[in-house]
Amino acid sequence: MMDIKRVISTIEKEYIKNNLEKGNRIDGRDLWEYREFDIKTDTIAAAEGSADVSLGDTRILTGVKYDIGEPYPDTPDDGVCTIMAELLPLASPLFEGGPPDQQSIELARVVDRGIRHADCVQTKKLCIKEEKAVYIIFVDMYVINHGGNMIDCGGISALSSLISSHIPKGKWTEDGPEWTGEYFSGDEIINELPIPVTFGKIEDNLFLDPCLPEQLVSEGRITISVTKDNITSIQKSGTTTFTTEQVRMLSNKAFEIADDLREKLDLWQYKSKQE
Amino acid sequence: MTLLIQDKYPEKLFREDGKRLDGRDKDDLRNIKMEVGVIKNADGSAYIEWGNNKIFASVYGPREVHPHHLAKPDKGILRVFYRMTTYSVFDRKRPAPGRREKEISMIIADCLEPVLFLELYPGTSFEIFIEVVDADGGTRCASTTVAALALADAGVPMRSLVTSCAVGKIDGQLVTDLSGIEDKAGEADLPVAMTWFNDELSLLQFDGKVNKDEFNEFLEMAEEALGQVYQIQLDALKRKYQQIRDNVQEEGGDPEE
Repeated sequence: MMDIKRVISTIEKEYIKNNLEKGNRIDGRDLWEYREFDIKTDTIAAAEGSADVSLGDTRILTGVKYDIGEPYPDTPDDGVCTIMAELLPLASPLFEGGPPDQQSIELARVVDRGIRHADCVQTKKLCIKEEKAVYIIFVDMYVINHGGNMIDCGGISALSSLISSHIPKGKWTEDGPEWTGEYFSGDEIINELPIPVTFGKIEDNLFLDPCLPEQLVSEGRITISVTKDNITSIQKSGTTTFTTEQVRMLSNKAFEIADDLREKLDLWQYKSKQE
Repeated sequence: MTLLIQDKYPEKLFREDGKRLDGRDKDDLRNIKMEVGVIKNADGSAYIEWGNNKIFASVYGPREVHPHHLAKPDKGILRVFYRMTTYSVFDRKRPAPGRREKEISMIIADCLEPVLFLELYPGTSFEIFIEVVDADGGTRCASTTVAALALADAGVPMRSLVTSCAVGKIDGQLVTDLSGIEDKAGEADLPVAMTWFNDELSLLQFDGKVNKDEFNEFLEMAEEALGQVYQIQLDALKRKYQQIRDNVQEEGGDPEE
């Protein structure tokens, strides 16, 4: 496989492109095929939920933590779920340390928007007392190795960590919030599973799940997050342009691909066991 | 943070049967597992599970120094970034690195530098990134140990490996390798590291209160524990090459060639 560089040589770019034109990928995949997902959950003892998800060479470790805080005034009985991403300099020579940059913010926001606009996180159940106490759920994604298409890996990682979570249940008393002695199971706080599906574009060639060399030579990509019946977010990224016909075709494909993936990965199997 | 379950410290750190809360004897280490080459993009990398601690380390270098003014004309520089994920601890940690992380980064860099030949790499830098993803006491020792392993995996010339471990005092007794609870509720903690090319201590910090005799015993216990951890470190490194050898043999090649 190719080395990771900021600039890819013309000859490597031509090689990737010529293969795509013939319907081939440099890693032997079909145009509309994902790399293998590998999912492990509940790997972090200190976290209330966690998932270690690999998509090919891309690996993201996500943890769930919670806090009890006051709700926003306009949504007095809704809990809050925030998603953060860190592109660790450990994971790639392309990443630099320091405060979150555009790339990591985009990753967090695209995953977040996919989840937010679906009927996914059950924010009403994450309320302990209206106007007084709601849960703030933190889903923090850390990229351990960057092998391309972090968004789809991050999306599955965020969902798996929430499904595997065991957040203590609270009740309201005169002294404030108190633990009931029970925990939320994953299917109590999560309902729909929105899946982000990312397509790369190199000249007029469209394909699913760009690996790193493909991502480095592509002019852009489009991520379409879908639930069973709805599109919940779209992000076109990079300097490329798409025809409306291409967007229509890709959104139809996204539903198909996400349905297959939902069935194949069977994320509900990672549901936390009640103790 | 307002949490529904509080992080409690037990009153006693020994059980009725004289064992520690996790079932260990006084001079037992926790279970330690190490593996090298876990991060493909890095020049060298390693992963350690030390009890409940889970830590990744990756090494990049020698490479160009950013920002450029940090470069030294007569030798390379070593920079260490010890960081913890927000979910690695009981109370969610703020994402930005704090004072503790910066201090530990410096301590680890100073500890590892003696084994490197930085004078051979003028104008360049080696960077070690350490990410603690699950923390349960003794992360600086585990981090130092795994960082040394990642350097070796990167093929960086080294005088020797570096191994680190802590000894401490809990409920008035001296013990090896404090767990998170023992560290918080105990009386003393002495993390040390040894550079094996000269058998000297390269990391040494102490917090707590012990008398002269206890301190001497500490050093003996530490030497014993360091030897055990060193062996696990060596095994992890050898396993990688054994694996390559096995793969070659499976393909019908002669590994001696």
